[in-house]
Amino acid sequence: MKILVLVKNVPEVAEAELEIDQGALDLEDLEMVVNEWDNYAVEEAVRITEASGGEVHLMTLGGEDDEDVLRRGLAMGAHAASHLCDEAFEGSDPATVARIFAAAVKGGGYDLILTGVQSADLGQASIGVLLAQELGLPHATMAIALEPSAGEVVVTRELENNTSEKVALPLPAVVTVQSGINQPRYVSIMGIRKVRKMTIEQIEADDLSLAEDALGAAASMVASQSLVLPPMGDGAQMLEGGLDSVCDQAAAILREKGGLA
Amino acid sequence: MNPLRMPFWGVEWAWLFYLLATLALAVLALGLWEKIALWAQGRRAAPVASHSHPLGAVLADVFLGRRIWQGGRTAGLMHLMLLWGFLGLFVGTCAVAVDHYLISFLQGRVYLWFSAGLEACGLLLVLGLMLALARRWLLPVPRLERRPDDTLLPLWLLAVACGGFMVEAARLAATRPPWEAWSFVGYGLSGLFPSAVAAREAFPWLWWSHALISLGFIAWLPWSKLAHAIAAPASLYLQGQPLAVLAVAAEEGDLAALGLRHLLHLDACTRCGRCVEVCPAAQAGEPFSPRDLLRRARRQARLKYSPLYRLPWLRGRRQALLERDRAADWEAAWYCTTCRACLEVCPVQAAPIEMIRKLRAGLVEQGSAVPPQLMDTMEKLFRYGNPWVAKKGAKAGWAQGREIPDLNKKGAEADWLYFVGCTTAIDTRAQGIARALSDVFIHCGVSFGTLGKKEPCCGDIARRLGEQGLMEEQIEATQALLNKQGLTRIICTSPHCFDTIKKVHPLFSEEGLPLQVLHYSQMLHRLWQQGRLIFDHPLPIKVTYHDPCFLARHNRLVDEPRDLLRAMPGLELVEMADHGLNSLCCGGGGGRMWHEIPGQANLAVRRLEQAASTGAELVVTACPLCLIMLEDARKTGGFEDKFAIIDLSELAARALGLAATDREAAVNP
Ligand code: SF4
Ligand code: SF4
Repeated sequence: MKILVLVKNVPEVAEAELEIDQGALDLEDLEMVVNEWDNYAVEEAVRITEASGGEVHLMTLGGEDDEDVLRRGLAMGAHAASHLCDEAFEGSDPATVARIFAAAVKGGGYDLILTGVQSADLGQASIGVLLAQELGLPHATMAIALEPSAGEVVVTRELENNTSEKVALPLPAVVTVQSGINQPRYVSIMGIRKVRKMTIEQIEADDLSLAEDALGAAASMVASQSLVLPPMGDGAQMLEGGLDSVCDQAAAILREKGGLA
Repeated sequence: MNPLRMPFWGVEWAWLFYLLATLALAVLALGLWEKIALWAQGRRAAPVASHSHPLGAVLADVFLGRRIWQGGRTAGLMHLMLLWGFLGLFVGTCAVAVDHYLISFLQGRVYLWFSAGLEACGLLLVLGLMLALARRWLLPVPRLERRPDDTLLPLWLLAVACGGFMVEAARLAATRPPWEAWSFVGYGLSGLFPSAVAAREAFPWLWWSHALISLGFIAWLPWSKLAHAIAAPASLYLQGQPLAVLAVAAEEGDLAALGLRHLLHLDACTRCGRCVEVCPAAQAGEPFSPRDLLRRARRQARLKYSPLYRLPWLRGRRQALLERDRAADWEAAWYCTTCRACLEVCPVQAAPIEMIRKLRAGLVEQGSAVPPQLMDTMEKLFRYGNPWVAKKGAKAGWAQGREIPDLNKKGAEADWLYFVGCTTAIDTRAQGIARALSDVFIHCGVSFGTLGKKEPCCGDIARRLGEQGLMEEQIEATQALLNKQGLTRIICTSPHCFDTIKKVHPLFSEEGLPLQVLHYSQMLHRLWQQGRLIFDHPLPIKVTYHDPCFLARHNRLVDEPRDLLRAMPGLELVEMADHGLNSLCCGGGGGRMWHEIPGQANLAVRRLEQAASTGAELVVTACPLCLIMLEDARKTGGFEDKFAIIDLSELAARALGLAATDREAAVNP
């Protein structure tokens, strides 16, 4: 079985102090990591091929540094990777990104295309679905289990309140993978070093049979206007000072409000 | 009549004996060949360095059983009796063979003394064996197992020895040679035979049964745990091999791919259980035992590399066993705190601490059996250079309000680099150490600086978790930074950073400047000796000192911290049951600080129970990990009104009257 997994490099923001620079997240102090959901998708694809043969191909769309996300996937056991990298792709909305992917995927002979349910940075949750549309393929979202067999894949989809639905799709098909479908393996530094020499296919806009105006911001119907950091909540009171002073203030407030007997 | 030996006296069918003996020797040879084949495989996997332990010490350990005595007198006595009894009989048997087949020399007085000597050895062996059996069955020593072969082996050997005495007794009773009293045991037993005729009739039966039992024993030797007779001396000889930069092959996460030294360890282990007795994880009732790990490793090495298991009809079984062991090892790999207590007591230096690291390295490379929390820790280490927060530049916060030179800056100079370390720099409780220590240094006029926000991780956690590639990367990055800034004199807060920078970093910096690395307790000790650190604020308080494993056992630093404590006026130092080199681990090492394991116990609570029984009002330690573990256990284990936990540096600051440390509150709960 030949499986394609679409992956994305995203900034890790959970514990970081975020800043906005010209309407976008300031990436200066942020580390880029593989999009969590895509990581599950890569693991699932690798497991399928480990169990029953075949190969896993990775694809990402992004800047030069985003090649890391492909190396990581190769270290997990993927067999090949393509990097869609061109200034012309910048500013694309999800529909346009899906169109670019579709152009790159065509003729690849994939039986199954996987990607994460959504991306951690933009959370559109639409690339998988739009890509299926572009390619005219059946799709299933929110997969928490995959059982591929000849000509078919049975997908268990996660629904609300612990219910799930099993759907069967003829192959080829596009499936978006929910977190928790598996436990992705650890990728060691040695593992990454071992795949350092593997060549990654570079794909530019010219390599795709797409009109120039079908790419980038020009082709996009949706444009990002602004990014807003969460406002400081009204209920929160920030205490200033050293540890001792902060503790004293906190204790005083508690005492005052009757929190301390 | 000249006293002399009578070979095959009254025994017919000597040819049958020779046939059986050949068979027994063939089985013995097969066993030895299997071991040698395994060892050769290990040598190819990881050859041993030419460096080895001083021969004199090894011989003393082997022939006097020094390390066995250290763990208990009965055990020492038992082993000495068995060793010398067995050895004497072995040499005696060889002498008999020489006498019989080569040059005859066992006659006259020589023969008489020889006989008496053998009698003594036999007696020693019998007594030793009885003691061995008694230790398992009558005065059970809890650490000893009672597996079938633990009983069968001594019983068998007892049968060999007693059978030998009976054969001799029958011969003496039948012939009554004038020199019979020299064979004093046999002579004593010869009275059991009512007449010379009866003895004569019993003789062939006794002889043959003795012969069969003995030959069986010979055949069994290399397959039994008596193989330690060869492996243990070798293991002792190869102890303390220099650390080497290990090439990490993907080791499939199992213990089979071990080098020669480790394979010898596996055969050297006699399952005495001393490691289990001191292992903090095993003691606390966690489903882990260093001894079991070794046993499985031994079985795996055999299954994978023994030529015998390549035989077609053993293959199926081999696979099944391998799978089973592998699953058990995957679970066991993460309990060890790398505290080194096992190695400290192991009589043959075989305890598995290093093997566990190899096991982890294999699991990390293979990837899918790494616990998610540790994955997260390693990813943080990789991306953010610390195991705590997914945020860059988190390491300078502790120094707010203090003027400490940043040695990254051009022109900044200091005699010492204070290497704060991830935990001390980031954890709110441990930050108190950094603040106290820098205050003490400033007070004593030490010229020092830090690397501030840019301080890298030294690679210790990656090392302990088996993330070899990450460790290398971190060490190389650290070394590059130190070289660039020309920093060679380093003081570490954490005994863990200290251990890794001191022992492992030099392996990675061939052209680098020679490092001088101190733990802060050593630095304070120096200052105290030079009279630059004078504790002038009385602390009328009773304290006990918890030795961090990486100071005490790994680096033999037990006196320095105690000297400092004793130098503090008014302070009374009392010791816990386990202290110094026998310290009991707090449970924070080996990556366990960042990992909750199913079935885990709170190791630090056990430590604090010991502290509580000393009546101390303050538990002092000298490691950020110990500090955090003990502090947590103080709260969760209900010790809050008993004592406080404090770091040596913080106590030193108090004894200098440097109250500025904002953690002073911790001293007065
Ligand atoms: S490893 Fe050492 S201490 Fe542990 S059982 Fe084996 S011989 Fe005894
Ligand atoms: S190093 Fe410590 S925790 Fe690890 S096996 Fe040995 S005694 Fe147990």
